[in-house]
Amino acid sequence: MSLQMQSSYNKELDLWEVTAKGEVDVSTAPKLREYLDGAYREKRADIMLRLDELTYIDSTGLGVIIGAYGRMQETENRITLINPKENVKKLLSITSLDRILCSDH
Amino acid sequence: MTDIMKFSVPGKAEYVGTVRLAISSLANCAGFDIEAVEDIKVAVSEACTNVVCHGKCNCEETYEVACELGDGRIIISVIDRAGGYDLAKYQRPVVDCDCPKEGGLGIFIIKALMDEVDIFSELGMGTRIKMVKYLNRF
Repeated sequence: MSLQMQSSYNKELDLWEVTAKGEVDVSTAPKLREYLDGAYREKRADIMLRLDELTYIDSTGLGVIIGAYGRMQETENRITLINPKENVKKLLSITSLDRILCSDH
Repeated sequence: MTDIMKFSVPGKAEYVGTVRLAISSLANCAGFDIEAVEDIKVAVSEACTNVVCHGKCNCEETYEVACELGDGRIIISVIDRAGGYDLAKYQRPVVDCDCPKEGGLGIFIIKALMDEVDIFSELGMGTRIKMVKYLNRF
């Protein structure tokens, strides 16, 4: 029940590659916020959030992503979720967030 | 014949994960398939998060998670004494647009994942979210 985060700026593509592994819930969501906001503060660029190894997310985590999406709109930057697992996809679909956050929509 | 199991949980964010694990193990043993277990897990977690986030629950306060197993269903109630809220003021979050709002998704997600959801809240007292999931409901 922990969340491991990694982020690096890809100069060539001019975007942030952020990876979230583990679980995002009310206790770990602040860490997700810290990484997303930290990256965007350091360099205004699109964020690719890799979710291959994210096993769980709930409304607090989705709220953090929505918050980042909203702030990034000011500079017309985007946050895109890459490779969410089936259970994560289901929540994105229920909340219709897949339409604005997933690349295959 | 139903079995009842109750957990008394400190109102701290770090214990929501423990409740989530316990309930998913219970649902798994009761014969729910992986997808249903996942639904139950998220719904319970959302209900607990509501107590931890919205409740005036300070860390010394505890809330209760009660599970009733039997008759082909699981009933989970999350009961707090965190002061309650005005249900009439709850608004369905706007998720169907390009400007979604942060927050307010919890109850919406619970309702989408569980077969029956009842929320009882009394201002000044507390809130009880009762969630039901049936086995083999297609």
